[in-house]
Amino acid sequence: MRSLAWRWLTMAWCLPVLLVLGLAGGAEAEPATLQVSPDVVEISSFYQGRNVVVTGTMPEGLGAVVEVTGPSTEEHLMRKGRRGPLWMNVGAISVTGAPSIYLVLSSAPDLLKNQGASSWGFPSLIKNLRLSGDLKPDEHIMFKQQFLELKESQKLYASIPGGLAVFPAEDGRQKITGNFWLPANIKPDTYKVCLTTVKDGQTVDRVCTDLAVQMVGFPAFLMTMAYEHAALYGLLAIVIAIVVGAIMGYLFKGGGGH
Amino acid sequence: MPWNLYLPISGNATNILLLLGLGGGVGFLSGLFGVGGGFLMTPLLIMAGIPSTVAAATDSNQIVAASTSGTFAHYRLGNVDMKMGFLLLIGGVLGGTVGVQFIKVLRAMGNADFVIKVTYVIMLGVIGFYMFVESLQSMRKSTPEEAKPREPQKPSVYARLVQSLPWQMRFEKSGVTLSPIMPLILGTFVGILAAIMGVGGGFIMVPVMVYMLRMPMHVVVGTSLFQILFTCINVTFMQAVSNHTVDLVLAIILLIGSTLGAQFGVKVSRRLKADQLKILLASIVLLVMVQMLVGLVWPPHLLLGFKGGH
Repeated sequence: MRSLAWRWLTMAWCLPVLLVLGLAGGAEAEPATLQVSPDVVEISSFYQGRNVVVTGTMPEGLGAVVEVTGPSTEEHLMRKGRRGPLWMNVGAISVTGAPSIYLVLSSAPDLLKNQGASSWGFPSLIKNLRLSGDLKPDEHIMFKQQFLELKESQKLYASIPGGLAVFPAEDGRQKITGNFWLPANIKPDTYKVCLTTVKDGQTVDRVCTDLAVQMVGFPAFLMTMAYEHAALYGLLAIVIAIVVGAIMGYLFKGGGGH
Repeated sequence: MPWNLYLPISGNATNILLLLGLGGGVGFLSGLFGVGGGFLMTPLLIMAGIPSTVAAATDSNQIVAASTSGTFAHYRLGNVDMKMGFLLLIGGVLGGTVGVQFIKVLRAMGNADFVIKVTYVIMLGVIGFYMFVESLQSMRKSTPEEAKPREPQKPSVYARLVQSLPWQMRFEKSGVTLSPIMPLILGTFVGILAAIMGVGGGFIMVPVMVYMLRMPMHVVVGTSLFQILFTCINVTFMQAVSNHTVDLVLAIILLIGSTLGAQFGVKVSRRLKADQLKILLASIVLLVMVQMLVGLVWPPHLLLGFKGGH
């Protein structure tokens, strides 16, 4: 009897506490969401790079960072140096830990200027780069910076502070949207798009989705042919050139350039 | 920009009008001056952002098409010395094969771009300078009395050397007697350069045939085209198999542009004097050479580049 009364008392005391905790926990645990559109990009004959839109939601009062990252492979580079009057390649440098592509957008511009211990943006990227080859220990920082600039010049790396628009909150949640340009020289692969929500410079939540880039149609056919049936491709290139040359020659009565 | 076309071998999108314009421009010069445009096409493609190894290999493919019609036309006129052509061709095929392997090794070492550019600067510099000086001299000496036939001279060291080579044979069409070793060696040399530079080698082959093999001009052009056609077929095949750098789409666009451009070039050339044409061509050649030289001498913006020119 005593134990039943004790159980009821305990339950009555705990219920409101559990309810409060449960509600609060539910609000905070509701994760950020992220979508990319399109989620499959096709490289066809007229592909020239394309705009990709990211949208998402997150709890009110947070900052947002969106990163587009390609798989890391070992990159082989050459360092240039002067030999006599000429600039030429004077040594090989390998870079590991570098994503093939890295595009980063933020809600507040300051989020990407923050040099602290953040796990996003160019400062974090530089920290993860490992260089080896023909370089001295004191040249690492300079060549890491040069590597970033090289990738930026190819439009494969980009930092866009303030590139995400945040809309006023509804029911405690904010909508974010932004867009980035997927460059024309991107390689077919599966890329990760991740949204990191941030409060006071610290990661609150991180959610990721895939962005697939596929070569389709004629370019895909040509690539397969050139790499997997190289001899046939070579012959085809020659035959097409002779036929086109003969047709053009016939049309213009042999007046073509030689 | 709906005019961009994706080139899978180059791995990038390029403006189709720019490529047609390049093809057209080079074709125009080709028709205007009666020379192959290969030596201008490759550097211009590199300037347009095509990786240099792809530019060189694709240019060879384009020249296959361009020289097909020319060879056929000259063959019908009886301007092709088949015997000489075949010997040059054997050398050319050997040289082309060596050249392609050489590029492969250089790409692995990371200096293919550098060698291609330096070879261009040297060849364009020598030829441009020579043409410029020669046409300037002939413009000054255009009085009739200067055109007298020269007195027979003592054979030069070069002529004696050529005559001392074994297996002397008669080349009827060209009207010369020399050892087959000569065209074989010269063909090999031109073949190596053709593979490295991605050109037919006409601008090297024509002076070689005129000055070193002493062939008459009308046979030189036909035989050179015949040899170029087959050298470029070999180089295209080798590049496709060894380096995967032949961009068929790019080659076809350039070809269409160059064939159309050549028609205008031929029309304009009829209104200009030969020496004016030569000076103009020499200036263009030297301009391209200087542009490439500046690229080699000027400190680069970045001290880091991708291996293999990509």
